[in-house]
Amino acid sequence: MNSMTLNKYQLIIMADDKQVVLERILQVTRYRGFLINGINAEVNTGNNVATITMSVSSERPISLLIDQINKLIDIKGVKVDNSEVQIKQHSA
Amino acid sequence: MKKLIEAESTEKIDFNNITIGIIMTESKTLTGGALLFEVLQEHGVQHVFGYPGGAIMPIYDALYDSDVKHFLCRHEQGAAFSAVGYARAAGTVGVCLATSGPGATNLITGLADALADSIPVVAITGQVPTAAMGSDAFQEIDIFGLSLACTKHSFQVTDINELEKVLHQAFEIALEGRHGPVLVDIPKDVQLAEVTQRLDKLSHLKNKVKLPLADISKALDLLTHAKQPILYVGGGVGMANAVEEVRDFAEKTGMPSVSTLKGLGAINPDNENYLGMLGMHGTKAANLAVQECDLLVVVGARFDDRVTGKLDEFAPNARIIHFDIDTAEINKRREADAAILGDLKGNLPLLSTELDIANWQEKLKQMSIDYAWRYDHPGDNIFAPAVLKTVSDLMPSNTCVTTDVGQHQMWSAQHMTFDDPSNFLTSGGMGTMGFGLPAAIGAQISRPHDTVIAVSGDGSIMMNVQELATIKRYQIPVKIVLIDNAKLGMVRQWQDLFFDGRLSETDLSDNPDFIMLATAFDIKSKLITQKSEVKAAVEEMLDHDGPYLLQVKIDAAENVWPLVPPNTANDKMMESV
Ligand SMILES: Cc1ncc(C[n+]2csc(CCOP(=O)(O)OP(=O)(O)O)c2C)c(N)n1
Ligand SMILES: [Mg+2]
Repeated sequence: MNSMTLNKYQLIIMADDKQVVLERILQVTRYRGFLINGINAEVNTGNNVATITMSVSSERPISLLIDQINKLIDIKGVKVDNSEVQIKQHSA
Repeated sequence: MKKLIEAESTEKIDFNNITIGIIMTESKTLTGGALLFEVLQEHGVQHVFGYPGGAIMPIYDALYDSDVKHFLCRHEQGAAFSAVGYARAAGTVGVCLATSGPGATNLITGLADALADSIPVVAITGQVPTAAMGSDAFQEIDIFGLSLACTKHSFQVTDINELEKVLHQAFEIALEGRHGPVLVDIPKDVQLAEVTQRLDKLSHLKNKVKLPLADISKALDLLTHAKQPILYVGGGVGMANAVEEVRDFAEKTGMPSVSTLKGLGAINPDNENYLGMLGMHGTKAANLAVQECDLLVVVGARFDDRVTGKLDEFAPNARIIHFDIDTAEINKRREADAAILGDLKGNLPLLSTELDIANWQEKLKQMSIDYAWRYDHPGDNIFAPAVLKTVSDLMPSNTCVTTDVGQHQMWSAQHMTFDDPSNFLTSGGMGTMGFGLPAAIGAQISRPHDTVIAVSGDGSIMMNVQELATIKRYQIPVKIVLIDNAKLGMVRQWQDLFFDGRLSETDLSDNPDFIMLATAFDIKSKLITQKSEVKAAVEEMLDHDGPYLLQVKIDAAENVWPLVPPNTANDKMMESV
């Protein structure tokens, strides 16, 4: 087994501004094994777009979470904010 | 350099930006409840499964005037599984209805099952009136909140003017890409509210987008250089309606193939290079072949832990070409060397080419012969694998078989053959006991002219035994083969093998008299205990016009073999001694 390191990521999520969207994101994030370190959400703004920035950490590759968040019907897009320093993913 | 080949794929559809033109129809007003049934009919729904209650009464009132046929199940879980069976057997959307609170929570296991097996189901729940929501009202539960973890998507409709759009979206989402269950929660006042405007149905059709997929050329390269390739077929094949394409591919390439539990029926059972099911209870030939292969072509499968055994040691020498409709499955458990996203039906033929793998084919064919199933079994007691083989041999073509969960399920998968994935319905991802009987009811209703057989266990059947009343009420001619070991057999097997034979809470020797039980529901039945009785009894069951229960007594100590122990590589399987 590879020994895994905890990596931190900053995600920027654009979504349809539905009341439930934040709950959906939180549920998927927890279930897929990512710890939420911080979250800033502009939701229920009255326009159609919600913007959520979230910093998460996990031993798992971030692509797993991005794919799962992307699968949520209300999500318009997810990206990793690369300005955040990423620690190496695996150490062999 | 890299040749770009256009492969068909689906881009994420923005369901909220689907333009729906509103047109005025004649000034007919409809209640929300009546609108529901009109929309269901527009989506081709003829049958629904459900159970009424206070918060869904306006919908049941509208049902009273509707042409949609409702089947009253005897538990909402039964309704959900019947909807799942209906969907799987007919390749369409299954619909179930339940009231708020306990009615809604009773649907959850069925929705979870549908999510795990990617089955298109639309569940409609009644909810307390919007004004009462959030007040802990009678029979109020936050089913919308509960749905987040067990549906593909869910809606709560608090505005009657949103109802029609949401219902259309529910059907689209259930069927779009990787199928799945969608829940629509409708408060009682919305069911009663009136609408005068209908939506223009044609304008919400979705458009498929073509994406260039560079990995096709890489995949072709991997394929043509492989000396020992294996085609690993999953449940996605049936759902992508790509059985024909997969069979053509297997034929043209001559590639030896293996199947998951949910993929059974996709490969033509007569294909001489087909090795059977892989995984925990897979055939020895299938598991050894996969461990040895140098290329796995994965079609609509997801490296489930019951398939891979110890993941790090699964197919250790193989490069991976992974076809899937769900991006999130690519690289989830095993890194793909080439990933081909999108519609399998269009994409797989792009890879079809003749291969020069005669030695590999011969080697595996010999392995298939060497490790073929054996049905010789000492004594007069009935050998379950042989019964299931007999049923399989005698059942008419296009019979749909459902199973419950346990040893009888694995024996069915091993010893029965199916000519299409829609003819073998089993709870794969969730492994839900209680699935078999209601799923068979749904399957029979969707395919009234085909034989439907539920293979159940003496533990599992009791989990939705109330559905015998549904069979009685509608005279649904389902045949039930009850494999009775008076045990929670699969758990007992694990206790024997892995828990020092400490048989904790797996004895069912005080089961009810199943013959009396069947009689109570007007179901013809028979008990057999000896090998010599099997053939005639199976024939009698299949010849009977109405519902039938065949109770097959077997030895409680019988195990399912081979068995790959948990977290063990698939080539280290335990075998019968
Ligand atoms: C709802 C549910 N509860 C518990 C289990 C765990 N479980 C798996 S197989 C099994 C035994 C099933 O007994 P039976 O239906 O008699 O089948 P058998 O193994 O004896 O053929 C149990 C308890 C399950 N799969 N589903
Ligand atoms: Mg049993």
